[in-house]
This record gives sequence, structure tokens and C-alpha cells, in this order.
Amino acid sequence: MSDLDKAIETLRNCRPIPEAQVREICHKARELLIEDGNVVTVSAPVTICGDIHGQFHDLMELFRVGGQVPDTNYLFMGDFVDRGFYSLESFLLLLCLKVRYPDRMTLIRGNHESRQITTVYGFYDECLRKYGSANVWRYCCDIFDYLALGAIVLGASYTLPPPASPDIELEVRNANNSIMSNFQRHPNSINKIKEQDQSRQDEMMATNGAGEGSGSSPGKTGPPGSGASGYSSGSVGNPAGAVLCVHGGLSPLIDTVDKIRLLDRKQEVPHEGAMCDLLWSDPDEIDGWGLSPRGAGFLFGADIVKVFNHRNDLSLIARAHQLVMEGFKEMFDASIVTVWSAPNYCYRCGNVAAILELFEDNSGLGILSRSNGDANRSDGGPRGVLMENELAAPHLGPARRYRVFQAAPQDSRGMPAKKPVADYFL
Amino acid sequence: MSKPTIPNLLSLRGTRGGERGRGRSRVRGRGGGASRVAPGTEPGDASSHTLAHDATIQGTDTDAAVSRLSAVHLGYLQDPFANLFVQPGPSGSSARRLPIINRGTYTRTTAIDKLVDIFLSQTEGQERQIISLGAGTDTRSLRLFSVSTSSRQQQPVQNLTYHEIDFPDIRARKLRIVRGSPQLRNVLSDPVEHTSAATTQQGNDATQAPQDNDGGEAVTTTITYWQSKSIQSPSSQLFFHGLDLRHLAGGKNVSSIPHLRGDVPTLLISECCLCYLSTPEATAVISHFITAISENLGIIIYEPIKPDDPFGHMMISNLAARGITMPTLDVFRQPADQEARLRLAGFAAVRQMTVDDIWERWIDENEKERVDGLEGLDEVEEWKLLAGHYIVAWGWKGDRFNLDA
Repeated sequence: MSDLDKAIETLRNCRPIPEAQVREICHKARELLIEDGNVVTVSAPVTICGDIHGQFHDLMELFRVGGQVPDTNYLFMGDFVDRGFYSLESFLLLLCLKVRYPDRMTLIRGNHESRQITTVYGFYDECLRKYGSANVWRYCCDIFDYLALGAIVLGASYTLPPPASPDIELEVRNANNSIMSNFQRHPNSINKIKEQDQSRQDEMMATNGAGEGSGSSPGKTGPPGSGASGYSSGSVGNPAGAVLCVHGGLSPLIDTVDKIRLLDRKQEVPHEGAMCDLLWSDPDEIDGWGLSPRGAGFLFGADIVKVFNHRNDLSLIARAHQLVMEGFKEMFDASIVTVWSAPNYCYRCGNVAAILELFEDNSGLGILSRSNGDANRSDGGPRGVLMENELAAPHLGPARRYRVFQAAPQDSRGMPAKKPVADYFL
Repeated sequence: MSKPTIPNLLSLRGTRGGERGRGRSRVRGRGGGASRVAPGTEPGDASSHTLAHDATIQGTDTDAAVSRLSAVHLGYLQDPFANLFVQPGPSGSSARRLPIINRGTYTRTTAIDKLVDIFLSQTEGQERQIISLGAGTDTRSLRLFSVSTSSRQQQPVQNLTYHEIDFPDIRARKLRIVRGSPQLRNVLSDPVEHTSAATTQQGNDATQAPQDNDGGEAVTTTITYWQSKSIQSPSSQLFFHGLDLRHLAGGKNVSSIPHLRGDVPTLLISECCLCYLSTPEATAVISHFITAISENLGIIIYEPIKPDDPFGHMMISNLAARGITMPTLDVFRQPADQEARLRLAGFAAVRQMTVDDIWERWIDENEKERVDGLEGLDEVEEWKLLAGHYIVAWGWKGDRFNLDA
């Protein structure tokens, strides 16, 4: 068993690892993360997770419900630390898993992955308490600076895997894997999207020139059954638009994914500007942009999301950052979703948590047709100006399975130093 | 172990662009030496004979005192007396609460201060009374009795008799603190202790919690209290009565509280106190004062509500794990229940707001910006949840004042 595997084993038991080993793992993680762009590309299938906030035992429950690493490919959207009592073990375990299985674990930065915030909200104090010095906190904060700001999921299917009916767009399962509810995709939207899909591919051909780089001609790779009245119910899925994952949301300074790629991310989260906004903003039922009650980032409305998604060929934005009692919340015609993965947040809120599973599209279309931002998106081409009728036809979103779970039972918590005590206004 | 300072969440956050309209605040937490101690570790002063549950409830007073001091240190509240009632931590510091708790302390204190101000301004020039139930380490009387303390207040309150009531142990402890504090020499005259005969239905020594017997016989017992005058405003007096409120719930034959007047406008305050009694006891305590005060009586109740949603379930179970139960929460579950409770008790006019509402509607924009600027509250949803589960309900009867806010 390697030292790394031993560390993972120790952390899985919710025990800290020696300071020297933290240093070593952070060093290795840094070597990995430094190679990443600000927006990392992840291929479906992937399980997308929201805030963890040091709730270690609930993170174990998440892995029980969602599958263990490396069996399941995970993308965590930040806020690993603060608030809960086991920020250290939670973050280091995720980081070790990243080092051990780099292709099966993606970590992006949340607003709590910051020196300032962790000194107020608990991680700093926890490190001091567990190590007697701030060294480990410093190693971790240095790693925070290298975490990517976002991720793009490519190749997600817009059907759930069999035996789910291919017209199911959204499925909710509980922690025992039982289906709680599901929702069918509107049939009209499917046909409409297929037409749109076809025309987009034609357009790409016209823009790029046929053949080179696109692998095969769009005529041959069109969605199965696209010429027929319905769609195939066979085992081959259909490509959905790309999914942008970011901790908070959008920024008025960022209109394309490419602009995220240009930021200098290797620094403390600034108090304003694009990088700050990506980690702090929230969607809200407003028009345009609004002031955030958090004092950092902005509020943004449905119009902002729809324009952004269209301009960047995105079908969905997945983000975390906001407590939702039901674990997940889709907004704006399912163009953005909040995923929250800390059940009974702060041991006080009584909420359930969720993770979002996206599935692999087997048609081979997804990655090629939706390179979103990598090429010819922000070059003043035909998509430079958005017409209203274009906005009316959103991309077909990926099929989504949410797994909802509750806080780990108290008796599974092993040997907590102290029973969590939540504060109230007494 | 201790870090030099607790960095402020906003200390590195600059002024946003002009269009953001959010000024930067540089108000900082207390400077050097501040380090966190675990909440609730203060040993308190509970004597060995105090029942465990009573000790737990008294512990909530310590909790409140620590929270108040945290809010004061960070600049949410002004209260020069907050530090008197918190024992310093191991490194000479006190606990710092999370921003959400500080905002809650601020909002609830500001709300009750506002209602108290209304009461005092409407009864200006008259003799009037405030009765604070479970007053414990509350500093409101001290703030009212001195000039420099309340920012709104030009001079110490005149003609106010302030009755604080809490367990005998708490009475003794507060007396020791008041006597031992040089800071209070300019605020309160040297407290004088008295023992007054009072008749309660059961129980023996007022320094003990009522025994669990069913003796309905009226027994003469004693209430020990101390009394002091405002030095800056000698027409105002403070009484602190060492009394288990459950004695008042005995019903008949209660000769009442020493120096309590039945003929002057009176405001009764229960800041997270009656909720710890059984519902019949809590109701009986209010009835006691309704009976004792002839006509002009107001009441302010602050306590949790909404036990039925997921947050409420968790609140009850978390508090139970700390040994805290709130029996009245079972009965007064919703804001409307609190209103009905006060109407039924005999208050002609009744109002209520959640702490969340109070923050939204009573704190003006400039003040909100100032408070937001102190630490930065990162989670609005969590605030709405927590603050939505606390209520300030108030009511009044008689024609000498109203509490329309």
C-alpha cells in the first residue's frame, strides 16, 4: 500500500494525517493543478456535487449514495471547507483522491477556498486546533489558489441510461436508489431541438469548412432517428449541449467562457472583479444584473443566463453556493441549477442534499459539435448578435438524475470529539 | 495557539465600484489577543443544589451574554456593560460568534430597544415600570440609567422603576458583579439587599427551585432582592428579585413582588424566558402581572417559532441535545398563535414580526449597510431560515401609551 493510499485510508476514517504528509500531498496536487486551465474540461459521465463545508460524515454518505472513487467520476464545485467540524479531513481526502485518481476527480474553487473567509468561518481555527500551528492551513490555502474556476462537461447524453424511458428528462432518486419522481421532456422541444441541432451543424460546416477536424460529416452523425417522426429508443444516446460548472455564477465582466480562460486565477479570491463574481454571484428572479445581498458578486436574472448559454453553446449551468432545502433547484426553464450537497447544513438547517448525475452520450456527437468556447464562438461570427427568436429555442439540456440524501446518521459518525452544537439566538 | 488578530471577512475587500453603492467599513473586531474559545465553556456560577435543567436554562443566559459581547466587540451594538457579564476566556479574550449570530443578536436587541424607547417616550414625565423576566445578565437597565451608553438617548431615563427577575443564584451573581465593578460606580448606587416576605403557593426556601410536591398550601416564604438607584437620574431605580418565576405561577395568594406598583404604566419583557416554562406556568406568569398591574400594561415577548418545518424540527432536536426544551413552542407554533396568546391574555392591541421581518423593515438602509459592512454575512438563505424562526410579539392595553411601531 502506497503512502498515498494509506493517507486516503486514514482520512476516510476521519483522522488527520501528519503535517509533513499534508505538505507532500499539497506539493503533488499543485503540480497537477498548475497544468489545468481556469476552465477544465470533463467528459460525461460525471457526478456533480455542491457545497460540502467540512461535513465529513455527510461526504462519506455522498460517496455511499453516488458511488466510490474511482468507480464514479466526480466534479466538486467548491466550498469544501468552513462551517462543519471536519473541513480538514474533508478537503484533504478530496485532494488525495484528486492526486490518486486525477482523471476521476475534479475540484473547482468556491468562495470559501480563501484565506480571508476561512479565518472567519472555521477552517483556520480547525487547523490550529488539530495541528497547533497554521502551517497546514497555509499549505491548503496555497492549493486553493491553484484550483480551477470552472469546468465544462462535454458529451452528456440527453437521455437517461436504460431502462429509463428515453423521453425522461429528469429523475430524482433517494439515497436507497428508489425513484422518487421523474419528468418527461416536452416532445415538441425534442423535435425543435433536433432541427436546431442539424442547422447548427450545417452552420459549423459552413464556417469551418467541411471535413477537417470534425471527424465525420454531420449528415452521418446526426442524432439517430432525426429524420423520423420520433427519436430512437435504442441504446445510443443523444448529445446534449455542454454544461458549465462554476461555484457561484456569472459576472457582468464575462460574456464568454473564453474570457474565464484568460483570467489570472492563481491568487487569493479578489474582493471584486470577474473571478470574485464567478465564485460569489447568485441567480435571482430579476431582469439583468442586481446587487448581491452578500456584499460580493452580483445577482443575475433569466435573461442573462439565456443569453450567456446561447452565446456559449451551453445547455445548462450547474452551480452551488446557495442553500436549497430540497438539495437542488432548477431555475429559468432549467437553464441553471443549484446543487447543494451539505445535508442539514451547519448541523442546523434541516435540509436534504443532492448530487447531479450526467450520463455519457454514446453517439460521438457531443464533444465535436459542442466545443463551446474553444473555437469560433466569440469571433464576431454569426452568433455575435442574438435575435429574439434564437433565444426562444434553448438548447436541449442533458438528462439529469438527482440523488437526494440526508445527513449521515449520528451513530455513523464514529468518534466525534464533541457532538456538534449548533448556535441559536437564545 | 492564539493568532494575533481575527481577520475581518471584509478587511481585504475593497470598496466596490460606485455603482455598487456599498461603502467599505473599516470597523474591526477587537484587536490583539482575541482568540476564540469554545462557546458555552464559561463555567457559570450554578450552585450544586440547582437542578440540572435550571442550570442548563441559566446557561442560555451565559450564551446570550457571550453573544452580546461578540456583537459589541465587532461594532454591531454599543453597550459598555456587555463585558461585565462574560468571564474572559483562557487567554483573556471572549468568544467571537459567527456573523449570522451577531446579526441576530443585533436585530433582536435593536427591536426590543425600539419598543422600549416607544414606551418610554410615550410615558415621559410619568412614573413607569419595566419588568424584565429572566433578566439575568441583561444590560438594558444599565444602559437606560446612564448617559453615555445609548446612542439615541440624550439623558438617563427619569422616573423609571426597573424590576429584573431571575433565579436567586443569578441575582446573587449579578449583585457580586455590580458591586465589584468600578465601571458601575457612576451608574448605580451601592446596591442594598433586602429580604421580603412573600407568599407563594408552594416551595420552601426561595433560593431553591420548587419541590415537586403537590402541596397546594400557601406557604410564606421570602424573596431576596437588591435595590439600587441610578446615580445620574435618582428618580430611576433598579430592583433585582431573586425568584423562580414558577413560584408566580402558583396562582392565588401571591403577594407579589416587592415594590412592584400596580398603578403606573408598565412594560413586561420576556426575552427568551417564558418559553422555558410549561405553557400553563408561562400563561400564569403573564396572568399574574395582568392582575397585578391595574390597567396600563404592555408586553414584549421574544422567542422561537415554527417548530414544524425541517429547520424547526432540527432546532428542537439540537436544543434537546443540549438539555434545553421549550414547552411553549409546542403550543405557540406560528406567529398567529403568538398573537392569539396575547389577545387571550387580555392585551387589546397585538403585533408581531419575525426577526427576519424586523431586519428587513425596521433597519434602515444606511444602518443595514453599516452592519453588513462589519463582517459580511455570506449566506442570506441561512439567515432567512434562522431569523424567520424567531419572533418578537408585543401587545398593550390601557390608554396611557401604545406600542405602535
